Parts: sequence; C-alpha cells; structure tokens
Amino acid sequence: MADLVSYVIRKILLAIPVVILATLIVFLMVYLTGDPIVALAPPHAGPEKLQELRVKYGFDQPVFVQYGIFLWDLIHGDLGESVGRATLNLQVGSLIAQKLPRTLELMAIGLTISYSIGIPLGILSALRQNSITDRSVMVFTLVAYAMPSFWLGILFMILFVVRLGWLPAEGTVGGFASIILPALTLGVGNAALTTRMMRSSMLEVIRQDYITQLRSRGLPEREIIFKHALKNAILPVITVIGLDIGWFVAGAVVVETVFSWPGIGMLMTRAIANSDFPLVRGCVLILAIFVILGNLMADIFYAYVDPRVRLG
Amino acid sequence: MSFRKRLNDKLVTWKLSGGAKQTLADILERGGRNLMVVIGVSIIVLMVALALLAPVLPIASPTELNPDVTAHYRPPSLQHLFGTDEVGRDVFSRVLWGARVSLSVGTLAVLFSMTIGVVLGLTAGYFGGKVDYLIAGTIDLFWTFPAFLLALAFAAALGASLTNVILAISISYWAGFARLIRGQALTVRERLYVEASRALGAKNSRIMFTHILPNCLAPLIVWASIGVADAITIESSLSFLGVGTQPPTPSWGYMLQRGINSLEEAPWIATFPGVAMLFTILGFNLLGDGLRDVLDPRMKGLRR
Repeated sequence: MADLVSYVIRKILLAIPVVILATLIVFLMVYLTGDPIVALAPPHAGPEKLQELRVKYGFDQPVFVQYGIFLWDLIHGDLGESVGRATLNLQVGSLIAQKLPRTLELMAIGLTISYSIGIPLGILSALRQNSITDRSVMVFTLVAYAMPSFWLGILFMILFVVRLGWLPAEGTVGGFASIILPALTLGVGNAALTTRMMRSSMLEVIRQDYITQLRSRGLPEREIIFKHALKNAILPVITVIGLDIGWFVAGAVVVETVFSWPGIGMLMTRAIANSDFPLVRGCVLILAIFVILGNLMADIFYAYVDPRVRLG
Repeated sequence: MSFRKRLNDKLVTWKLSGGAKQTLADILERGGRNLMVVIGVSIIVLMVALALLAPVLPIASPTELNPDVTAHYRPPSLQHLFGTDEVGRDVFSRVLWGARVSLSVGTLAVLFSMTIGVVLGLTAGYFGGKVDYLIAGTIDLFWTFPAFLLALAFAAALGASLTNVILAISISYWAGFARLIRGQALTVRERLYVEASRALGAKNSRIMFTHILPNCLAPLIVWASIGVADAITIESSLSFLGVGTQPPTPSWGYMLQRGINSLEEAPWIATFPGVAMLFTILGFNLLGDGLRDVLDPRMKGLRR
C-alpha cells in the first residue's frame, strides 16, 4: 500500500508542471493575433482610448508581469471579468460555476450510456468472434467512430425530433427529455471506443491458459465467461474511464452547441464568437484541468488494480 | 480518445520482425490483400477524384446566389442532384467543392504536424539527455489534451480563416507523430548497425534520416492516415462552430451548421454534406486500421 501512496503522490507532483504549462499556453494565446486590445476596443477607437483600455486590462505591463498577475489571481480563484456584451463585467469564475453542473450532468449520463452500450456489445462481439454478429458490431463501431459528433447529433434530431416528434430539439426546455438527445449523441460516439476496447480485452483474456484449464475441467461456458473471464477483461476498460473525460470534454463543446445545451461548451463557443478573451481563457483552463484530472484518475486507478505499474 | 491513445502506444512499441525494414513496396503489396484497406483506398480515391474534378465538371457554381426565391430550398432533382440550399446554391456542387477544402486541410495539416513531430521526435529520441527531457515533456503536455480542444483554442485566438485552421490543427496534432518517432529512435539508436555506421564516421543527421526514419515508415503511414481522418473531423467541427473555414468558401461543417435550421423543410441541405464527410473520414480510418492489421508483425494470426 505504501508504494501505491508514493506512486499517487509522484503522479500528482508530475501533474503540477502540466497545469502550470497549461496556464502559460492559455495566457499566451491572447497574443497570437498581435495586440489583444485592438480586438477588444470598439471600432475606430483613437489611440487614447486604446491606451486607456490597455491600462484597464493590465496590457501596459511587461508580459511576464502580466503572467505573474494572471497566476496570482488564478490561485485566488479570480479568473477575471468577462468583456462580452451580454455578460460585461461579470466574474468569469461565477459564469463558469453556473454552467459547470449542466456539463457534468451531460457527461455523467453520456458516460453511463456509453458503458451500458459498449460493455455488453464488446463481450458479445468477442464471444462470437468473426461471426455475422461480430462483423456487424465492428461495422457499427467503425461508423460511429468516424461520425463527427455534431453530425450524429443532427441525425438524431432528424430522427427523433423531425420524423418521430418524440423529443424537444432545444436543451433549455423540457427538463429531463431535453438531456436525452445530447447525452445519447455523446454516449453513442464514445460507445464505439468502449465496445472495441471491451472486445479486444475479452479476446485477450479468453485465450489465456487459465480459461482453457477451466474449460478442460468441464465448467459451463456461461460460468467461465461471467465468473472468471469477465472480471479480468473488464478491468482495463473501466480503468481508462478517466481518459474518456478528454473525449467527453471535447465532444461536449460541439454537442452542447448543436442542442443549445446551456453548459461550459456553449459558454465557450459564445465567448469565442464575442471575442470575450477572459471567458475563453477561463473555459479552456477549466476544461484542461478536467482533462488533467481525468488522466490522473486513470493513472491512479490503473496502478491500484495493477501493482506492476506502480513498482515499474 | 483513449482508443487513439492505445493505438498510438501500440505503434510506438511497434518492433519490426527480424529487423527487416518495411519498404513502401512491401506496404503496398500486403495492404492490397486486406479488405479494409481496399475499401478505404477506394473511398479515398473516389473522393479525391471528385474533389479534383470539381472545377471541370459541368456543375453549378458553389457560391453563386440565386436571386430567384422559387429556386431556394429545392428538393433533389435531375437539375440539382442534391437540391438547393437557403439561397439557391447547388448542394451537389458545394459538397464537391467542400471535399477540396476538407481534403486539402486534412493533408496539409497532417503534413505539417508530421514534419514538426518527426523533427522533434528524432531529436529527442536520438540525442537523449536534457534535450530529450525537455522535448518529451512538451510532447506529453500536447498529448494529454484532446487535439480538438487545443485546435479550437488556437483557432479562436488566431481568428477564423482557412490558413489558421491548418495552422491550429498542425500545432495541436504533432505530439502523436513525435511520440511514435521518439519511441522508435530510442530503440533503433542502440542497434549494432547504428553503432557501426557511427564508427565509420557517419554524421548524426545521416544516421537519423537513413537508419532511424525508414524504420518508422510503416507506423508513420498508419498514423498519418488516421491523422487525415482526425484533421478532417477537427476542421469540420471548427467550421461548424464558426471558427473554421469562412464563407463563401464551401465547407462541410459550415454547410451542416446552416442546414440545422431547416431540418424539417429541407433535410437535404445538412444530409448530403454529412454523408460525404462521414464517408471520407471512414475511408481514412479504414485505411489506417487495415494497414495496422496487416503490417504489425505481432498481429499475424491474431486479428483483433
């Protein structure tokens, strides 16, 4: 257990420079287009006005001083104020905090859908390797994986909203019914990955000697699969849930926009459209931290189930 | 994403059987016997041909607006194979011209990110030490984040245009290539023949480009093919969100974004570009997956 604790501490320490580098990239992004103030200022603003804004947003300071201030504010939970028209002068932190639960909700349901489709389908496919069932499942995963999430969302909309008329198209109305389509879009896309991983993991396990030995002892196939093989096969699939977070974060940005789901993703695309750089910064940073945490979670979980990792 | 990451891990540790280099002729010959590769290549060839022929085919202009309101929202017909959109443009023609945008963004972005990745990966893996420490750290950082998220942030900062989209994807996607090459370079530089050629006085650059790089050809091609699929997905997603290719340039992502408003009355505006996009991405994915199956020596007799 002690080695696990030291492994976890090591991993957390290693994540810190990644977070710092992420803040640096997010900070420097504003300078990619040159003078950020020009984008911010009203058109035809005179040099005095530009200078006034520059002082107001701290752009008159040397860049490393600006970064220091940015980091200092960040440590104190201050992400700055929005400069977008609709959310002018509102705290970026509170804007994000407001939308975050909706994104988390969407991701949680999407993740549930993904795993409840992917795991049974992967097992089925592995047990009937090279059969028609297996082939069809593989075709499904290929297509679902190739499908950009916004296109899948639009197809679901055509089917469930336009043709069948079962569900509302917009995210803001209709309570639970409105989360189904965006969550399904995220879930089905990710299910393709889960299925393939479950399948290959199961195939690996049922080729191992101990399974052959169980067979030779005459155990019923059902018992071999569900009591002995599944336990080992499902572990690598579950341990990488953390890595899926990156996929879901990226997917959420697009899917939320398709379905007007009021989460971080839509907040971010709106902020981009309004050239609201503090808000874009805040959104990118919060999503980046999610991805880093997801990776950390996967690492720790993996080390927990597989002692070889933490000793290596 | 995690699937891509595992695939990349497999490619990084891709050891070549018997030290034999897999030449381009090898790859072509063995690839030709795999169904996935054949389907993938057929789709790619078809899409590339249509994209190349778009300017000479007798089709309507993809950007010309039709002032006649009765020509708007026309369903598919002989005259307009895929119908017309909200301002009377021919959807078929826009899909073909959109293929030019998607394919060129996909190829160029992969070419640029491959160049960045190969240079950084070779340098890190071959020289090792402090250089490696620094580069490997940067690779890890870029590898941690989903390329789409990075590209979105870069595209937002750079401003929406075709060149910026290519730039944004290139600087977001190179880490996969760099990991691949670095992993190979780390193993290959320990080989006897590398030592031998160093003893003969070969320069570092010569060893890197004549011994290490050709050894990475097969995994590089697999990852590049998948990379084009990813780059097309990212480009269309960015255009869908409005930070990618800007109108009037026809782009599949943007067409879908416009089409979403008229799913009920004119579903063809979104459907046809969507299908074309799916097919193209599928084509490159099939090519990559199939090549990996036939080329990876560990996969022999154990198709997964």
